[in-house]
Amino acid sequence: MIKGLFDGKRWLALWKAIPEYYVPGFIMTLKISLVGLAVALVLGVIFGMLSTMKFRPAKFLSRIYVEFIQNTPLALQVMFYYSVLPMLFSSSGFRIPKFALGVIGVGVYHGAYISEVIRTGIEAIPKGQSEAAASQGFNYLQTMRYVILPQTIKIIMPPLANQALNLVKNTSILAMVAGMDLMYYTDSWGSDRGFFAQAYFTSAVLYFVICFPLARLARYLEIRSMRLPASKKINGKEDAAC
Amino acid sequence: MKKKVLSMAFAAIMAASALTACGSGSSASATTAAAASETKAAETSAETSKAAETSAAGEITADVQKIIDRGVLKVGCKSDIPNFSLQNTATGEYEGFEDDLAYTIAGEIFGCSMEEAKEKKLVEFQGVTAKTRGPLLENGEIDLVIATFTITDERKETYNFSTPYYTDAVGLLVNKDSGIASIEDLDGKIIGVAQSSTTKDGFEAYIAEKGIDIKPEFQEFDGYPALAQALATKQIDCFSVDRAILSGYVNDSNMLLEDRFAEQDYGVASAKENTGLAELVEKKVTSMLDDGSMKELQDQWNLQ
Repeated sequence: MIKGLFDGKRWLALWKAIPEYYVPGFIMTLKISLVGLAVALVLGVIFGMLSTMKFRPAKFLSRIYVEFIQNTPLALQVMFYYSVLPMLFSSSGFRIPKFALGVIGVGVYHGAYISEVIRTGIEAIPKGQSEAAASQGFNYLQTMRYVILPQTIKIIMPPLANQALNLVKNTSILAMVAGMDLMYYTDSWGSDRGFFAQAYFTSAVLYFVICFPLARLARYLEIRSMRLPASKKINGKEDAAC
Repeated sequence: MKKKVLSMAFAAIMAASALTACGSGSSASATTAAAASETKAAETSAETSKAAETSAAGEITADVQKIIDRGVLKVGCKSDIPNFSLQNTATGEYEGFEDDLAYTIAGEIFGCSMEEAKEKKLVEFQGVTAKTRGPLLENGEIDLVIATFTITDERKETYNFSTPYYTDAVGLLVNKDSGIASIEDLDGKIIGVAQSSTTKDGFEAYIAEKGIDIKPEFQEFDGYPALAQALATKQIDCFSVDRAILSGYVNDSNMLLEDRFAEQDYGVASAKENTGLAELVEKKVTSMLDDGSMKELQDQWNLQ
């Protein structure tokens, strides 16, 4: 495999394969990653908040979701969505589109992890904060929105970025069920021609192209959230809302 | 420091006592081991000389010599195709037409018959898939690939291929309740093919030739069990690979369509730089085709 790495003819073959294989694969992976991340974040925030509520059934529901998803492999879950889930609806061969399959797969899986990240983030905020908010007449959602969640950002940002990056990389599991993603096309072209070094190297670069900016963005948000809030400039008149 | 010296002295005493205690036993076992290695050495040298004799006509090339020195031919075979190459789950042995072919080639290299090669286990099999066989061959992990490897012009640029030892065609396996009765019904349907297979090109050439105007979608899967499962759960409409392979997956709920296309030739592949080995394989395969022993071997495994 390494021997053929510097073979110019193989790189030329790769160059010709880019429009047919790598472009659609890259677009699919990018789409699944972005929509999947949005789904994971929404699920994570909802279930993360549910698990910190005093209301017991909510806590319980969140625990079931998190424990079940966290403790089973993603490959198995995707296989389930692919071949078992459609059978539940009908036996006539209903098919979930590959894009939806990917979004559900990584979205639900990482939603569980993100929900844990958010739960620990919320629990790390001293109880006095929510008591203080309650004493000012804030209800649960308002407490979360204005007092607790802004403070958790700097705590949860590193593990959250971790999850986002893992989500992008985990989309590659779709290749197993012909998911038309980057990994699928990489395998397809690589094994077709036998130029594995070129195929996988290019694929690695493309995953890097998605992940690296995401990692930098997360780092930027983390640093920004760590800045202390600047005190408001008071020009004579006091801000009443404060 | 003092402690260390003490402990070392203690260890030395212990070792000495251990040696005396089982002195007789260990010397006996050492003798046996030496004898065993001697016999083995004698065997190997005998084999080497025999091999040298057999290929006296042509000289032994460096790449073949390396295999002789190693004492075993490493071959990549499929492990999941009945009659072609199936790993016996009880014994772990590889059994099938392609495995016997590997033993025959090993016999040629080591200068013995196929049966002897089988008995002495002169072939070390490694299960390969369509995806792994190429890299394994290039890395030198295996010497030969005899794994329903279709010869194409593109692949000839990367590997050495022998003369075809078997010709197969691609078939179409569909679910009985899908209502698909012929190739015309496949318009707009999903056809599952194996990664690194030439099925898609063959299919398109076949429908173009027959003037059939259909546009199915192709999806690639890694391995035949994944394809069989996708067909069983109706995620694909048709499972299309070589008929030799399909025959292992026919059951009550699916059926093979009449159409056969893309006749393809299987060849023994070796790494591009091992030209000596390729030459030796080529000679053996052509001689087997000429004297009818290849046909005999295929009949033995109920092929064709």
